[in-house]
Order: sequence, then C-alpha cells, then structure tokens
Amino acid sequence: MTELAEAAKLSTAPVPPQRQPGQGLRRNLRQAWRQLTSMRTALLLLTLLALAAIPGTLLPQRGLNPVAVDTYLAAHPQLGPFLDKLSLFDVFAAPWFAAVYLLLLVSVVGCLVPRIRLHTRALRRRPPVAPRNLTRLATSTEWSADAPPAAVVDAARLLLRSARWRTDIRTEDDGAVSIAAEKGYLRETGNLVFHIALVGLLAGIALGGLFGYKGTVLVVQGQGFANVRSSYDIFQPSRLYSDSQLAPFSFMLQTFSASYQPNGEPRAFDAVVDYRATPDATPALRHIRVNHPLSAAGANVYLVGHGYALHIQVRDAAGRLVYDKDTPFLPDDAMFASHGVVKVPDGLPKQLGFTGFFYPTFGVTPFGPQSTYPGLRDPELDLAAWQGDLGLDSGAPQSVYQLPVASLRHLANRQLSPGQTWRLANGTTVKFAGVDQWATFQVAHDPGKRLVLVAAVLIVAGLLVSLRVRRRRFWVRAVPADGATDARRSVVHAAGLTRSDPDGFSQEFDSLVRRMKD
Amino acid sequence: MPANTSLAHLSDVLLVWTVSAYALAMLGYAAEFAFGRSGGSARAGRAGRAAVVLTVAGWVAHVASVTTRGFAVHRVPWGNMYEFSSMVSLVAVTVFLVLLARQPVRFLGAFVMAPVVLYLGLAGTVLYAKAGPLVPALNSYWIKIHVVAAITASGAFMVSGVVTVLYLLKDRWERRSAGPAPVSIGPGAAAAVEFGDTRVGGLMHWLPASAVLDRLAYRVIAFAFPVWTFAVIAGAIWAEQAWSRYWGWDPKETWSFITWLAYAAYLHARATAGWRGRRAAVLSLIGFGCLMVDYYVVNTVLVGLHSYAGVG
Repeated sequence: MTELAEAAKLSTAPVPPQRQPGQGLRRNLRQAWRQLTSMRTALLLLTLLALAAIPGTLLPQRGLNPVAVDTYLAAHPQLGPFLDKLSLFDVFAAPWFAAVYLLLLVSVVGCLVPRIRLHTRALRRRPPVAPRNLTRLATSTEWSADAPPAAVVDAARLLLRSARWRTDIRTEDDGAVSIAAEKGYLRETGNLVFHIALVGLLAGIALGGLFGYKGTVLVVQGQGFANVRSSYDIFQPSRLYSDSQLAPFSFMLQTFSASYQPNGEPRAFDAVVDYRATPDATPALRHIRVNHPLSAAGANVYLVGHGYALHIQVRDAAGRLVYDKDTPFLPDDAMFASHGVVKVPDGLPKQLGFTGFFYPTFGVTPFGPQSTYPGLRDPELDLAAWQGDLGLDSGAPQSVYQLPVASLRHLANRQLSPGQTWRLANGTTVKFAGVDQWATFQVAHDPGKRLVLVAAVLIVAGLLVSLRVRRRRFWVRAVPADGATDARRSVVHAAGLTRSDPDGFSQEFDSLVRRMKD
Repeated sequence: MPANTSLAHLSDVLLVWTVSAYALAMLGYAAEFAFGRSGGSARAGRAGRAAVVLTVAGWVAHVASVTTRGFAVHRVPWGNMYEFSSMVSLVAVTVFLVLLARQPVRFLGAFVMAPVVLYLGLAGTVLYAKAGPLVPALNSYWIKIHVVAAITASGAFMVSGVVTVLYLLKDRWERRSAGPAPVSIGPGAAAAVEFGDTRVGGLMHWLPASAVLDRLAYRVIAFAFPVWTFAVIAGAIWAEQAWSRYWGWDPKETWSFITWLAYAAYLHARATAGWRGRRAAVLSLIGFGCLMVDYYVVNTVLVGLHSYAGVG
C-alpha cells in the first residue's frame, strides 16, 4: 500500500476480495469465506431477509392467527396446500427464513472477528506518518511561523492534546518535524459494539425460545390459580423446558372490574389478586391490568381476556341442591353476548344439561336478541334444557363449552333474569343466582429477556456513537524556513482527512489551523 | 373524562390554518425555485423569504393545533392515525426549519411542503377521528416514548426521502450534461433536445451539487435511523408489558423491521464499492416506501395488534 493510501485508510472495513494465493480447494474455500463475509454479501442478505419477511405479513400466519390460516386453506384448495408446503403460513419459523438469518449471522461474525483484531491493533498503534506531500490532500493549507520547527510542532501538540487527539511526533531527516494526530476511534468501537450486540440479541432470543414457557388459564372471581402445569388450560413449553422451571407461586382472583365508554368501547380493566410467591408466603394484594403485568418469581402474569361466569343452582324435585357453580360463558362479540353450557351429571334421575346465551345488556333487534352494551345493565340468560346421557362417563375427552345435543332430548326453553327460578315439568328447579366475572391470564417466562434488553440498549448506543463520531486524521509538518537546522522561522504545512461529513470537518480543520497560527 | 369539544374544535380550525399557511409557503418556494434562475431573482428571493415566514407561521399554528388537541382529550395527542399523521408532518417541518437555520436549504421548501400538505390533507379528511379517550391497550407511559420516537424518525425519514429524490434527479442531470453531446439527427430533434435541456437544466442549476444532496440525505438518515431503532426497541419493551412477548411478528412489527433492514442496507451500501451513490439512494427510497406500507397499509388493510387507526 502506498503511503498516501495507508494514511487515507480510516476504517477497518474489509477490502474487496482479491485473488488469493494458495491452490485448489483451499483457495476456493478461502475465497468463498471472503465472499461470505464481504460487505456486498451482507448487503445482499439484508435485502433477502427483508424480502423473505414480506409474505409473513401478507398471508395469514399460524403463530398469529391459526383460524385465519384454516379459512384461507378452505377458500383456496388448490393454491393453499402448495403455499403450505413452502411454509408460507409459518414464514418466521420456515427453514428458508432461518437459512437467511443464520447466513447473515455467520457473515456478521466472520466480518467482526478480523475487524475487532484490526481495531484493537489500531487503538494501540501510532497515528500513521504524515504523507510526504501534505498539499496533495484535499483539506490542506500552509503558512509561515516565527518559531523553529520543533517549537511549532510542540505548540500544535499541546493544542491537539487539549482537544483529545492522539498525537505522535517524528523528526525527519531534513530537519523538518512532523506531528501526526488521529481522533474518533469511538466510531469503529461503536460500530463493533452494535454488531456484537446484534449477535447477543440473537443469542437472547434463542435462549428464550429454548428454555421459556407460556401458558393461559381462566380464573373465575373468588377462585385461585397455582403455577403447576396441570392448572393451565393451554400450556406451551419450549424445546428444552422442564417442569422444574415453574416457580411455585399462586394467586386468588378477588375481583375483576371492567369499565366502558358510553359506546361500549373498553375504558379500563383491573384484576385484584391475592398473590403468594411461595405456598408459605403471606398473601399480598396486587393489581393486574393491561400494560401492567404482575411480576411473579421470574415470570410475568398478564391479563389477556375476560368474560362473565353465571352462577346457576339446580335442585331436584325434593328441593335438594344438586348443582351450585359459577360457569364461565365465552364472549361472542364486543358487547359480550356470550354462550356457554351447564352440565348436571349427578343427583338427578336423568342427567341434565343446558345450553345458554347470555346478554349483559339485553336488547331486541331485527336480527333477534342481542347485547347492546358490554356492562351489566340489564342481564338476561336464555336457557335451553336437555335431558339424556351427557357422555361424561364414556371417558372420551369433551369440551366444557359443548353439549352433545344430537343425542339428547330437548325439554324446554326459558329466559331468566338474575334471581329468577325456572321449574321444569319434572319438578327440577333452575335458579339464575347471579353473575360473576372471570379473567384469563397468560403466564410467560422468558429467560433470554434480560440479555435481549441489554443487547438492545447496546445496539442503540453503538449505533449512536458510530453515526455521530467522525474518524479523522490531522498532520502538521514544520520545515526550517531557510533550510538550516537551527532556523528561527519555519514553513508549516497542515492537512486533514476524514471520510464522513467533510463539511463539518473542514470547519474543525479551519478552527484548528487558526488557533495554531495564533 | 369526556373530550372538551370547544378545544377540539379550536384544534381543527388551527389545523386548517396550518394547511393553508403550508400550502401558500409551498407556492412561494415553488415560485422562487421556478423564477430564481432568470433575471428577476430579487422578486423570486422575496417569494422565498415570504415562504419561510409562512412556514414558521404555519408551524406555530400546527404546534397550537396539536397542543389544543392534547388538552381537549386529556392525553397525548397521538392516539390514532389522524393525530399521528399531524405529528409526523409537524416533525418533518421542524426538521426542515432546523436544517434551514444551519445551512442554505431553502431549495428544499417546495419539496418538503408538498408531501406535508398532502399528508395533512389526508389526515384531516380520510383519517380524521373525533376527539376521544384512548383504548386501555394504549394507556401506558410507553405511548410517550415509543410513539414519539416513531413520529420523530418518520418525520425525518420523510425529509431524507425528499432530499434523496432530488439527489437522484440532480445526479442524472449531472451525468447527462457531463456526457457526450447528443448526436444530431435533424435540426428539429436537436432543437427539441436543447429546449428540453435548458428548461429542466435551469431548475437543476438551482439545486446544489448531487454530492451535497447525498451528504444532506445521509445526515438526516444518520439522525433518523438510531431513533427508528430506538422506536422499534421501545415498542418491543411495551409489547412485552402489554402482550406478554417482546416480538411476535405482528404485521406492524414485521414492517418496522423490514423498514429497519432497508435503511441498514442503505448505510452498508454507502460503505460498499459499487453501491455508493445512486444504488444506495434507491435503497433508502425503498426504505421510505416500506415505512409508508408500515403506516398506511398495515394500519388500514392488514389486521394486527396495532389496529388503533380509529378510521371509519
């Protein structure tokens, strides 16, 4: 490399691949590695990753909305299965998507390792020698000074040191003295920190994906939840999860309250729970709201849904209580018209079941009964009674929200308000005793979260530094004015070099030169 | 608390004033741009200065409109697409005014004002939403952090997009005028080429050199990109609190990421031989296109967790 080119090299960026020495396979491999870690490849992979992500936003995704995927498959019997084969409904878990980001990861690491080495070397090295002919540089100037070369350069050094430049003085053969100064190493440091943090971010994501867990549970007011796997309605463990990761916390849902705007849009939700970190701990009162999860022994508990649970009491003809439970009904629309099923398998001569529709604020529209407001303004319950074998004793798994009505005998229908009792023909009575609320909670544990957060902070910090700081070099050479070594006067040449933001640098250069002349 | 309707009305009126002032300013800049090259440059200069005064007046009305909206609804004034659009254009105008205070960029005026007026017009008509409270999901202090960062980055990206388009035009013109003289086919053809060149060339002379435009675009993106990165990360932190995961490939998240990748590619391209200049500029415009998809298409067409548009 020529002297000038060396002086102008302000970055540790890899040089474009050149023909490599060596033979055959080894040379090809080295060539391929150079190619993979080149900036051009990184650019290509960045673009590819962006392109690969696009179908994930245009087609329904299983991870986000499995129902929409099924609907799409049903609507497109030809195209659907073909797209499915290409993993286009699981884009972000697809092998080809992983291939792109893993290649990008390898490319980044392969580019980083030599650059870290080069940068640590550059941090210890003296600034590069002043090029022989400073006036050939774009930003340069010369003037004459009333001092010998050594004094001129010493003054320049003081000035540069006070502005925190790294300096190096060399005495040259012909009696000239030169100073080389460099500043802005932080630019490359920031750049490297940013890229290392990106790798750390991916590591954190992988950690969470391998060891975390997630589960959802529905809890009715007044009931509790203990963090064991069997308590969950849905449980999604990660690949390397083990039950020992479940922290032994528990909570009891004291109250759940929701408030709405006049048009029925939600205003606020609040779940008040009695929380115990361990079974022996004294319970503490906690609020779980949207945006305010409960932090529970390394996991977080989120409020993700709510609805109404109906308190139903069933008595036999003799007045004996055979059923007395809060039954959760599932909401069907934004106004919380809900549906649910009550199963009374024991205590009656024949098993009894009810299908029901619940309207928190009952209203009749041309389309039939509907709920007109999500709050409990005028609650009504439509019940249909069914008699026969509920199928609970067969041992086959059955949803608590479904009744096998096809094999049952329909008895009668009735609409009930809270407190009302309905007497069936056989003397059995059904009482709509009241309305409670339920809430669904999601418990999530992600051991990689902290690493991801630290990496994210470093990403922003590294980015800010690498885009704000300029790497620049500055040289001053003082030559004896009359050619003698003990000259009183000198001719001073100064030149500077930067890669980014030349406008800003020329101002800095001018101000440095002005202060040196003074 | 119900919305204060008289304050909300005042905010709407102020926005009309804002758009009018910006539109007039745009005409002023355009006049300066169009007539500045010929002899009557004094008059053109007056038009340019008047346009700056109108821009500042519009900016004051804009700030007042946004502030009154905030007081009317007792919350931050960026809770739906209408309010967000208004904030993004406010940032774009602010970035332009800040640049104007530092370097001679009045030539940008018409080109910044045109999309701003379009944006605000769209916001005030199609996207307009009545003043109202936030849905619970938005009720978090992260709306201040995440959304402000997204607004700031979007406004700055808008300015950089304008500068980049100008850069590409100027660069093409520079290449053409530096290239070999057009081969004359006949007297008519030569005259047509010449006429076309001088007319466009006059406007092009008014623009700074392509290298200056390129650096200006870079400076704005170098500011906006870390802010956008921060916006995405702040969004992830908020998502972790609201939706129990920091990243879920929701369409909004994915398009924000795609936008990020496109601008990251732009920054890498600037450091790659053979990609500097035009190709890098095209990448940054693609980035801006992704940002627009992220904003308009994701909010209105694709269904996701960010469906707070309040449109329709």
